[in-house]
Amino acid sequence: MNEIVYDIQDLVKRYPGQEVPANDSITLQINQGEIFGILGDNGAGKTTLVRQMVNLLRSTAGKITLFGQEISKHSHLVPQYVGYMPQDSEALNNLTVSEALYFTAHLRGLSRADARKERDLQMDLWQIRELHNKYSSRLSGGQKRILRLAVAAAGMLPVLILDEPTNDLDPYKRKLVWEVLRGLNRDRGLTIIFITHDAIEAEKIVQRVGIMSHGRFVALGLLGELKKIVGHKMRLELFFAPESPPTLPSTLSYREIAPGRWLLLVEREEIGALLQSLPLDQLDDFHLYSATLEDIYLHYAIEKK
Amino acid sequence: MLSKRNKQPGLLTQLIDVLLIELTNWRWSWRSMIVIGTLSPVLSMVALGVFARDSGKVSLSYVLVGNVVLAIMFNIMSNIESHVSFMRFHGMLDYFATLPVRRIALIPSLVTAFLLISLPALAATLIIGSLLLGVPLHISPLVLLVVPICAMPLAGIGALIGAKARTPMEANSINFLVMFLLLSIGPVIVPPQKLPAVLLILGRVSPATYASSALRQVLLGPITGQLTIDIAVLLGVTVMVYWWVSKAIDWRQ
Repeated sequence: MNEIVYDIQDLVKRYPGQEVPANDSITLQINQGEIFGILGDNGAGKTTLVRQMVNLLRSTAGKITLFGQEISKHSHLVPQYVGYMPQDSEALNNLTVSEALYFTAHLRGLSRADARKERDLQMDLWQIRELHNKYSSRLSGGQKRILRLAVAAAGMLPVLILDEPTNDLDPYKRKLVWEVLRGLNRDRGLTIIFITHDAIEAEKIVQRVGIMSHGRFVALGLLGELKKIVGHKMRLELFFAPESPPTLPSTLSYREIAPGRWLLLVEREEIGALLQSLPLDQLDDFHLYSATLEDIYLHYAIEKK
Repeated sequence: MLSKRNKQPGLLTQLIDVLLIELTNWRWSWRSMIVIGTLSPVLSMVALGVFARDSGKVSLSYVLVGNVVLAIMFNIMSNIESHVSFMRFHGMLDYFATLPVRRIALIPSLVTAFLLISLPALAATLIIGSLLLGVPLHISPLVLLVVPICAMPLAGIGALIGAKARTPMEANSINFLVMFLLLSIGPVIVPPQKLPAVLLILGRVSPATYASSALRQVLLGPITGQLTIDIAVLLGVTVMVYWWVSKAIDWRQ
């Protein structure tokens, strides 16, 4: 059985002056070698949770243990075991890409020679070698995010915690990030915990998911298990000219996910009849597929509000 | 394999790496730091020198050395206050907090970095001031020891303001006020004979008074037994302020 990396029990975080806690009664275990995704709408408490997990936020109640030791009592634990990528940071603005990676690896305990090797390895891994002499402050938003990912991974600590690793990234870089993370998990056994809004892409690598709403996990489990709950539903996306929306049967409810794009979650047995009733002449296109991680997220985080 | 951890870096490694990271501040701000860090004390010297010229050499020597203290405040105390405040509000403290860097390594590295970055402005202030005011310099080798000792408590006060203020703007305002107070109470820029008794008494608790006294001895001479007292007080204040700063800069919110 895999070792438990993080064991979180009854965690609460209440910010001063706020009646509603940011996190409330969170209990969670993360196993070694697991890829765990945290999803939730804005203000659900995701960033608060990971900042508690890396010991940057003091919890109001509850406890967090990392490899069996309580992080609030052993402040050296997180720096020694966990690489953390914050959502935003200007920490490394004065350093070049190469310096940021070298100093981080060196401060994480690697010798000077090993830190140099680690710097080169990370630059190749994240495909930022051509930026090595560029100052962090002069990188684009996406390049900065890739550098923060590389900095979190530098030193090859056993746990990575990433707060929205693919925001600001173009499709090619997003693909790269998921591939690198999957590789680090597969080849080096890294435990990876990440927050994302990118549910469709995260599905490519995530093994277990926690969906947060109002400071609590409203769903927690293996992706397959959660899919079964909404699995009897099919996802139907309709595409049309935004200025002339189609007329649907009044019994159907839909959600607009973008101008000219509606999403319907439909029972499997109703699909045949629905397709018959669709006003195809009013549509540019339609896609029908089984439930995705995004549907699970929408089902729990939004529709259950 | 997964719970394997890297060896924790030694304190010296932490100090050197943080110092090198902090020295990179020089990349962007060296021009403004030299210009503003020199210009402000020099302009102050010109203005005060006009009044002090008729009061004799002692007054001029106070104007010169007092403005070197002002240069230390501008270049080290103010910059550290702004930098600590910046670190708090822009995620830099989070970066260090999630690395095996002890809080105790952070402040000495910061002070050393800003002291090194400020040396050109301090030297320029001293040389220009000496020429402008006609005060001859008799520099003792002890200056190499005394300048860092004078900078440390003032830097610590700057770090404390940066660590405790609620916003960067509040930090800047408090820092300005404290600088003004430290320069005003005690014989820093003005000779003791020309100060009211109450300011002389208040000046005894100001590190700027002892910094000014120590610098006057190693820059203009003569060196007396007072230098030992000055250094002891400055080191004492440094220890107290650093202890307070290390408590104030809590990694965890």
